[in-house]
Amino acid sequence: MFTGGQSFVSAPPTFSNDGKKLLVCTGFTVSIFSTSTGMQIAELEGHTDRVTSIVVVPVAAPASKFMDYCWTSSLDGMICYWDFSVPELIKKVKVELPIFSMVIPNISNASIGSGNKSSTLYAFVSVEDKTKPDDQHKALRGQIRIYNLTSSRRVGGLLAETRNPEHIIVSRSGEFIGIKNKRKLHVWRIPEDFKPDEIKKIKLHHTKNLSALAFHPTERMVAGGDVTGRILIWRGFGMKKFTETLRESRGRPKLDEDRPGVRGNDDADSCSTWHWHPSEIKFLLFSSDGAYLYSGGQEGVIVVWQLDTGKRKYKPRLGSPLLYFVDSPDPSLSCVSCADNQIHILKMPTMEITKSIAGIKLPFSFPDVYDGLHKEFAYDQSNGLIALRTEDYCVQFFSLFDNSEVSQVQVCERNFQPVDDPTVCVALVALSSDGFLMCTVDVKLPEERLGSLVSLKFWTRGLRVGEYSLSTVIYEPHSDAGISAVCFHPGQSMAVSSSFGGDFKVWVHSSVSRLRDQKHEKAGWRCQSVGSYKRKPMTAAAFSADGSVLAVAAETVITLWDPDTNILVAVIGEALSPISKLSFVGKSEYLVSLSRSSKPQVALWNTSNLSMYWSYKLFAEAVCCAGNAPQFAILALSSSQNDIAVRDQEGIILLFDVENPVPLTTWLVKKAKGGGLAFVTKDQSLLVNGYEDNARGEPSLLAYINSDHEYIVFDPHNEDGRIGKSARRSQAPPEEAVPIGYTSIYGELPKIESNKGTDWDIPFVPSERPWETIFSGSSHVLPPLTKLCSTFLASLLEKRPPIADES
Amino acid sequence: MADTTSKKPFFPVDDHRHAAPLRTPKTLTPESRFWRSFTTSPLVSDLHLPVTSLEFSPSPPFDLAAACSASIHLFHGGSSPSPAPKPFSPLSSFSDVAFSPSFRCDGALLAAGGASGVVQVFRSDRAAPPLRRLRAHSRPVRAVRYPRLADKLHLLSAGDDALVSYWDVTSETPLLSLPAAHRDYVRAAAASPASPDLFATASYDRVVKMWDVRAAANSNSVLALDHGDPVESVLFLPSGGLLASAGGNSVKIWDVIGGGRLVHSVESHNKTVTALSLGRTGGLDGGKDGGESRLLSVSIDGYLKIFDFAAFKITHSMRYPAQLLSVGFSPSGLLRVVGTSNGIIYMGKKKKQREEEEDEGATAASEFDWSNPKPEKPVLRPTNFRYFRRGQNEKPGESDFVIKRPAKVKLAEHDKLLRKFRHKDALVAALNKKNPNSIVAVMEELVARKKLLLCVGNLDRDELGLLLGFLHKFATMPRHARFLMGLAKRVLEMRVEDIQSSDEMRGHVRNLKRMVAEEIRIQHSLREIQGMISPLLMIAGK
Repeated sequence: MFTGGQSFVSAPPTFSNDGKKLLVCTGFTVSIFSTSTGMQIAELEGHTDRVTSIVVVPVAAPASKFMDYCWTSSLDGMICYWDFSVPELIKKVKVELPIFSMVIPNISNASIGSGNKSSTLYAFVSVEDKTKPDDQHKALRGQIRIYNLTSSRRVGGLLAETRNPEHIIVSRSGEFIGIKNKRKLHVWRIPEDFKPDEIKKIKLHHTKNLSALAFHPTERMVAGGDVTGRILIWRGFGMKKFTETLRESRGRPKLDEDRPGVRGNDDADSCSTWHWHPSEIKFLLFSSDGAYLYSGGQEGVIVVWQLDTGKRKYKPRLGSPLLYFVDSPDPSLSCVSCADNQIHILKMPTMEITKSIAGIKLPFSFPDVYDGLHKEFAYDQSNGLIALRTEDYCVQFFSLFDNSEVSQVQVCERNFQPVDDPTVCVALVALSSDGFLMCTVDVKLPEERLGSLVSLKFWTRGLRVGEYSLSTVIYEPHSDAGISAVCFHPGQSMAVSSSFGGDFKVWVHSSVSRLRDQKHEKAGWRCQSVGSYKRKPMTAAAFSADGSVLAVAAETVITLWDPDTNILVAVIGEALSPISKLSFVGKSEYLVSLSRSSKPQVALWNTSNLSMYWSYKLFAEAVCCAGNAPQFAILALSSSQNDIAVRDQEGIILLFDVENPVPLTTWLVKKAKGGGLAFVTKDQSLLVNGYEDNARGEPSLLAYINSDHEYIVFDPHNEDGRIGKSARRSQAPPEEAVPIGYTSIYGELPKIESNKGTDWDIPFVPSERPWETIFSGSSHVLPPLTKLCSTFLASLLEKRPPIADES
Repeated sequence: MADTTSKKPFFPVDDHRHAAPLRTPKTLTPESRFWRSFTTSPLVSDLHLPVTSLEFSPSPPFDLAAACSASIHLFHGGSSPSPAPKPFSPLSSFSDVAFSPSFRCDGALLAAGGASGVVQVFRSDRAAPPLRRLRAHSRPVRAVRYPRLADKLHLLSAGDDALVSYWDVTSETPLLSLPAAHRDYVRAAAASPASPDLFATASYDRVVKMWDVRAAANSNSVLALDHGDPVESVLFLPSGGLLASAGGNSVKIWDVIGGGRLVHSVESHNKTVTALSLGRTGGLDGGKDGGESRLLSVSIDGYLKIFDFAAFKITHSMRYPAQLLSVGFSPSGLLRVVGTSNGIIYMGKKKKQREEEEDEGATAASEFDWSNPKPEKPVLRPTNFRYFRRGQNEKPGESDFVIKRPAKVKLAEHDKLLRKFRHKDALVAALNKKNPNSIVAVMEELVARKKLLLCVGNLDRDELGLLLGFLHKFATMPRHARFLMGLAKRVLEMRVEDIQSSDEMRGHVRNLKRMVAEEIRIQHSLREIQGMISPLLMIAGK
């Protein structure tokens, strides 16, 4: 049993000190990726709930650059201290309330190598107070608390209470921390030797709800972004309050001079507003030199503002709304997290994407018209792939065993713009059983019944898994009616598409051009036959295991056809409500149907005597069949109401044998609404590792994917279910010390010992007037002048003869 | 930020749906360009009877002889702009149909056969009665050939009586007479360019025979080639080692030195190939500037095909509006003539390019001025503007590794405007471009953004006129009709007041109305056709 498909973008990622590793919060664990390869290196396991923030302990001296320590916080109420180079858990601090955000402002004081071990670390955590009732909307559930990490206890009182737990931002120097609270910014000043009881706070007001916040690295400047896309920059905040004691001593009363843009009594010198973003700002970040401000949001463009002039530069077409932007200690590296579960590592001055860390695509909202369809995934059972439709008109192929993206296929050639109500979407994906053929349906919704378009596309796979090329496009295959289902023949190049317009079409692939003379005759898919049954909407379709029977659901009845001759063979009984999914059970003569509307039903039909075998009143999300074995699994919702608002619905997976209406096994799962279920074959690499498999190539593992696109793969027949993870741990790149920054250009600096007691190892004799030779050589091989200065000056001095020491 | 660095490619708004299948533009090969550079015009069009043979004189000015009905027409090859009939032409001292004119190797004499079986020899430079009459054949003589090498005394004739004769012209006596040389009419003969004693004759008995007049006394041919179809024409290729024969729909190339091996068979004509001729690409002014030799073949199907017998492929093909019976190509390389069955001789004349002449003059001059030193190329100095641009247009060498600059996405104006969300401007820009596919593509993109109706509502009067004009033209185009008809209806509903207030708009609407009426009529007639066809299909299905 193993899990995967975690979100990489639930919290901002963090770079390690050398900029070679990226720590990403992935569900209950922290995954460490290499920034040069984009592969996962290691994983920190220990938390029992979602990890919410990571703080890497900075290093002061370059000698200890391979020391990798970090603090993490999680919703399980724990703060953990890790050595992530090993990786190993060192220490745990209990907070006992779910932590939503944590910062450690004075962490640079306690950094490794600075020698200042005595200082205590104080963590500022944003927790959710569970004692207050959730149903009360006015309750202040978010709290900011302070914990002493050295002694693992809470100190001080509450810094602030907010309605929801807020994300805490800390300035680079650790002097200020801030949160946004509705239309206000709260900023605290944390002096280096602070007492937890004496922390001063100011508030900055705005007229809109604020959504992002950033501190300038060197100056007293704070930027806030609001939900309308405006960026406000307060300069010189807290001059009055944070420097109060100083002012009294100097006796310089501050007059109420002109403070442009500052509201009311806010403690700031000026406030200016920039507006480019049309919608909410998700992140703000000042560049490390303080000259630029990065902002981004829903429209998926990183905007680079020049602080002095307000000029903008853009990095467009990242393909998704942006969530976080994080810079690294290495100034040429930063990363941006996108809402489609991708982290792009950017090469900095040019903002060129060097690597992308892609997770499984997250669910997104489909147009309402295709509400009935939006739960479908497609599976490539033999390769253990799941095909998901993405928001930017692609199909993503995700490997369940490797927990990594395999490829993306662009279905519609259209530039993606994040909008609230999408009008174009990929409505259906179907894969043939061997995965060599793919069929997609993309739909363009009409604007007031004008200009709708349905197109059916057939794709063929290239040499590599997940690499598809377009073969045939069919526009408006069922005139203007929508397509309800597409499925492939198990053996030959044949597909069927059923439409709500009341007909289904059988498509065949004309393999070779039969007429050589006519050059326009190309290989492609064409319609072989059209069938309909009493003009009823066709809602589902399935081929039997040998491909000899085609079952098409005409609302409540199931019609059986011979796909080659297009002859109606038989009609089976009546379901309670329109059937939304059909599936043959292995090689048996049984057929499962799911109905999802007001009267939900799961029914098993016998095609040999054309009757219903049994049925349950269950609201089933998905059904899948185990290859040739006469078994099938159903994902059913335990509460049958069709309510999308309840996302966290409990579900149940039932494994049936066709002979028996009593399920063989059941499993309880969460977030079943919108989930999926599939049998997959065991990974070939696992077989090599000594796991015996009786029927090679037979799908024997059950994969369940929930509504958040997290999945679990387990063996339904084995109670232990220990499959073990695949070999992706071995993807760690060889750790070679690649010099960065200065050393990458000039090489390591020679160690210059400041200890006076030791002899200088200057490679020349002092009597030779060393100041003439010390600078000889080309300038680019010489160490910088500041390093040379002491050597030079020392060489000028007459060395005292060692006789003095002897005496 | 530069666009090239971003991850997703930019997709310009394009009409993916309605894109016509890509047709690669047909680029002319240099060869085709050469053959097309002949300007075609009819040389003679009042003969009315088939032009059975066309022959150029081998010596300058390359006069042309054409056999048509009972006369031989002679044209002066050197006259400009087109060959003019000679004053004594046509030679009409034939009692019946004349065939197969053949010039002597110096061009001074012309021999032709006749339907009565007599071969007559004329002067080709002035009007005179026939110099000699060679009588041996009892049936029409269709093939008369002078040797092509320096033999001025003899000629070969062959006729429908299957007799092949080799004559001493001066004494009017046959030196060699081969009765029953073939088993059917002999319709073609050719003289070898390699030897004055070698001839080939071809007959309707499907056999091409080669004769050596020195050894043919025993009436055995040197070589017999089975063409497979009645042979209409035979021709030695310039080396004398290859022989081309035309018969049926095919032209066959034989290796005569290699014992009569079939080298290649050209099956490019759809009807009987009637005549062959040798042509040459490039070279002007005699054989001075070689060019490559080509085989010209004409056929009843009206095509003249040019065949490269070195590469064994057809390099060019031309169509004429009549059945073609004969073809000729001037040794000067400037004139190409084709004779048809309805008495028209088509002439293709190549303009002599003056520049080339001048070039020739220049090279000739440089040959003499060899001692004159070439003007030295001045060294580029920074005082010259070109100094700063030197090497910028340098082409990469073969061994250079070329790093391609990433292809720039070409953005149309409407693409740029769509990127800036200036929807109405984008629609107007597309309408101004008047390309229906891109207009529809922009409209569909606007539908996807749910902005089309807003744009239509915001159009001012001129722009509305543009839109209505577009709808009038293209709304019934089948591939856009479903979308555009709905749009037209909606536009009319939305902009009623604007339309009523202007005469121009009312004109547009009248046009639309007319278009709708027309479309309804078409639909009616289509229905009728469908009604007629469907019973037929039903019957065919049973």
